[in-house]
Amino acid sequence: MRLETRKLLDRSFTGSGILAIALMAAALIVLLAPMFIRGAGAIFFTATIEHRRFMLERFNRGNRPQLEAEIKAARKARAPVYRMLADFERCLATGDAAERRRYEKPFRELKKKIQILLGPIPGAPRPMLMRNQYGQTRWDRAQVKLSRVLYREEWDYSDPTRSGIMHLKPRTADFAGTSLEALFPYLKNNIDRMLLPRRTVYWQFLTDTSFDAHFFGGIWPEILGTFYLTIGAMLFALPLGIIAAIYLTEYARESRFIEILRTCISTLAGVPSIVFGLFGLAFFINTLKVSSSKSVLAGAMTLALMILPTVIRAAEEAIRAVPAAYKEAALSLGAGRWHAICSIILPAALPGILTGSVISMGRAAGETAPIIFTAAVSVGKPLALWQVFTQPTPALSWNIYNLATEHAAVDEIRHVQYGMVLVLVSLVLLLNLAAILMRARISKRLRG
Amino acid sequence: MPTTLGTMQTATRIMPSLLLSHRTRLRQRVGAALGNGLLLAVTSLSMLAVFFIFFFIARDALPFFRLEGVREFFTSTHWYPSAGEAEFGALAMFVGSGLVTLGATLVAVPLGIAAAVCLSDMIPFSMRQVIKPIIEMLAAIPSVAYGFFALIVFAPLLQQQGGHLLAVATWILGLPLVVLGVIVFSDVATDRLRDRPRLVIRVILMALFGGGALAGLAWIGHTLGALKIASGTNALNVSIILGIMALPTVVSVSEDALQSVGRELREGSYALGATRAEMLVKTVLPAAAGGILAAVIMGVMRAIGETMVVWMASGNAARIPSPWYNMLDPVRTLTATIAGDMGEADHVTGSARYHVLFAMALALLVFSFVCNIISEKFIRRTRQQAKG
Repeated sequence: MRLETRKLLDRSFTGSGILAIALMAAALIVLLAPMFIRGAGAIFFTATIEHRRFMLERFNRGNRPQLEAEIKAARKARAPVYRMLADFERCLATGDAAERRRYEKPFRELKKKIQILLGPIPGAPRPMLMRNQYGQTRWDRAQVKLSRVLYREEWDYSDPTRSGIMHLKPRTADFAGTSLEALFPYLKNNIDRMLLPRRTVYWQFLTDTSFDAHFFGGIWPEILGTFYLTIGAMLFALPLGIIAAIYLTEYARESRFIEILRTCISTLAGVPSIVFGLFGLAFFINTLKVSSSKSVLAGAMTLALMILPTVIRAAEEAIRAVPAAYKEAALSLGAGRWHAICSIILPAALPGILTGSVISMGRAAGETAPIIFTAAVSVGKPLALWQVFTQPTPALSWNIYNLATEHAAVDEIRHVQYGMVLVLVSLVLLLNLAAILMRARISKRLRG
Repeated sequence: MPTTLGTMQTATRIMPSLLLSHRTRLRQRVGAALGNGLLLAVTSLSMLAVFFIFFFIARDALPFFRLEGVREFFTSTHWYPSAGEAEFGALAMFVGSGLVTLGATLVAVPLGIAAAVCLSDMIPFSMRQVIKPIIEMLAAIPSVAYGFFALIVFAPLLQQQGGHLLAVATWILGLPLVVLGVIVFSDVATDRLRDRPRLVIRVILMALFGGGALAGLAWIGHTLGALKIASGTNALNVSIILGIMALPTVVSVSEDALQSVGRELREGSYALGATRAEMLVKTVLPAAAGGILAAVIMGVMRAIGETMVVWMASGNAARIPSPWYNMLDPVRTLTATIAGDMGEADHVTGSARYHVLFAMALALLVFSFVCNIISEKFIRRTRQQAKG
C-alpha cells in the first residue's frame, strides 16, 4: 500500500471515531430536546379561564373579584352559543318526526363536543367526573377540541392495504339550512372571548396533588413517592455498601472466599432489573412479609439491593484513593485499625463515596422495573412519613409508563406525561451533574 | 498493610504505659474483633443476596417445570396463558429478546468501540473531560424516559417517515464507506504497476467501481425509502434505543481495556513506522481484545435485561417475526412478558401462569450469570496480559 493510501486510511479511522462521538452527542440532544421543550409546557403554557376557575375553586388561588369578572365576561360571550343550542332543541322537540330523526344524532354529538370544549351547559345537572365539570384548561387542547366541534372525523377503510385514512367533514354541512348554521362561525370567531387565553406559569404543577387521574393538578404524589423510594434505598444501601467496601479494602486478604464474594457482587450488578422486582415480590413481600402487599419499604429494599454493587464499587474506589500516608500516620500515632478507619480514612474518602452514591441515587430514582411488583401504584394520595411502611405509592418512573400507555385518555394528558419525564430526567441529570462537579473538586484537591 | 500493623501491635504490647492506657487498649481489641466480625457479616450480605435471588427465583420457577414440563416452554410458540387449556410456549419471547439484543449489539458495538478508541487515543485530555459527561448522561437517563421517547417520539416518526429515515441513514453511513472503499481498492489493485499506466487504470477502476457502488447504494436507499412501516413500535425501534442505552457501557469498559494496554506497545508500533490507525488496529486492539469482548458481553447483558423500553415500544406481539430477522415486525421479549403478565397472574394460589414468569426470570438470571462469569474472565486475562 502506498503512503498516501495509508494516510487516508489513518485519517478516515480518526474520522470514524469522531463520527461515533458526534453521533452519541446528537443522540443525547435528540433524546433530551423533546423532553425539555414539551416538558416545560406542563408549567409554562397558555391557560384558559377554565384553568383559572379550577385554581380558584379548588385552591382559592388568584384574585377573586377580578376572576369573577372574567368568568362573567366569558359566560356572556358563551351565552349566544347556549341560546342557539336551546332554540334548536326546542325547534326539534316541536318539529316533525322526520326532522327529529335526521338531526337528533348529529345534534347530540355536537352538544357533547361543545361540553368538552366549554364545560357543562348552564342549567344541566353537575357531571360526576371532574374532567366533565370544567372545559378545556389549556389553550392548545382547546384548539384541538374546537376543531372537533367544527369538523367531524370520518374514517375511510376502503383501501385494505393501509390503515384507515381520516377525513375531516365540516359539521356545518350536517346542519345546513337550520338556525344552528350560524353557531359555527360564531364559535370559530369568538373562541378566545369565551375562553380568555392568557400565558400562565403554573409552578404548583410540582407541588399540587393530582385530580381525576391527572386531568387536573400537579404531580406531587409522584415526586414524593420517588423521593421516599430513593431516600429509603439509600438508607439501606449506603451503610451496607460502605461497610462492605471498608472490609474489602482494609481487612480482606486475597483468598478464595473474597474472590467468590467479588464475583457475587459483580453478578448482583448484572442481574436484570425486572428479576430484582420478582425477587422483591417473592422474598420481601411473600416470604419475609415486610408488608402485607406492595409498600414503599419493600420497594426501597429491592432498589437498595439493586444499587448495592454500585455503592460498594464507588466506596471501594474512594477508599483506595486515600493516600496510604494518611493511614500510616494514624497508625504510627497509636490509633487502632478501626479507629484509623473511622477518624482518618472515612472522612478523607467521604467526598468520593458521596460522588458514587449520588450516581446510584439517580439510578434508584429512575428505575421502574424493580418497583412494579413491590411498591408502585398508578393512583394515590401523597403519603405521610409513617405510611411508608405499609402503603404503596405512585412514583415518577412508574407513572410515566402508566400514563403513557395505560391511561384512559393518553392524548389528553400528554403535557402531564412530558412534565413527569422532565422532572425525572432533570432530577437524575442534576444528581449526575453534582457528582461530576464533586469529582472535579476532589481530583483538583488530590492533585494540588 | 499487615506488616506495618503487626509491628505497631508489638510496639504497643512492649510499651503499654508509654502509648496507651490499659483500658483503651482493651477497648480497642474488643472493638477490633467485634468490628471485624460485623464487617465480614455485612459484606457477606451481598453474597447472601445473590444466593437468595437464585434460590427464590428458582423456587418459584420449578413448580412450572413440574406442572408443564420443560419442552413446551423452550420449543413452542403457542403462548396462551389464560386459555382454558393454557399453553406456555415461550419460544417467541426468547426469539424476541434475542432479536432486539442482536439489533442493539449491531448499533452499540461498532459505535461504542469507535468512540472508545477515539476517546483513549485520538482526543486530547481537555476534550475528553467534555465528552465523558455526555456518556455519563446517556448512562444516567432512566430507562422509562428512553421508553417514553421510543413510544411517543420515535415510533410515530418511524411509522410516518421510517423509509426516508432509513434511506438517509444508509446514505450518511454508506457514502463515506463506499468512497473510501473504492479509493483504497483501486489503489491496492494498481500498486504494482508503473507510474503512467497506473494513473490511467486507477481512474478507470475508480469510475467503474465507484459508479457500481453508488448505483448499489442508490438502489438500497430507494428500496428503503419506498418502505412502508406498518407500526412504529417494532423491533427496529427498540433495537436502536437499546443500542443507545448500551453504548455507555460498551464505551467505558472498552476504553478501560484500551487504556490498560501499555505505552510500550504503542511506541514500539510507531517506531516500526505504523500510522496511528495501523498501530491501533494491528497492535492495541488485538492486545485489548479480551477487555473489548467483555465490553460487548456487558452491553448484551444491558440490552437483554432491559424492561421498560421493550415493554413500551416493542409492540408486544408474542410471535416470531417472519422471516425471523425482520426488524420491522413487532416482537415481545422475556422481560416485557414478566412485567406485563404479572399483574394478571395469581399471586396467592401460585398457578402455572404465575410460575411461568419466574421460569422466564430464571432463564434471564442464568444467562446474565454466565455472561458475567465470562466477561470477568476476559477482563482478568486482559489485566494479567497487560501486567506481565
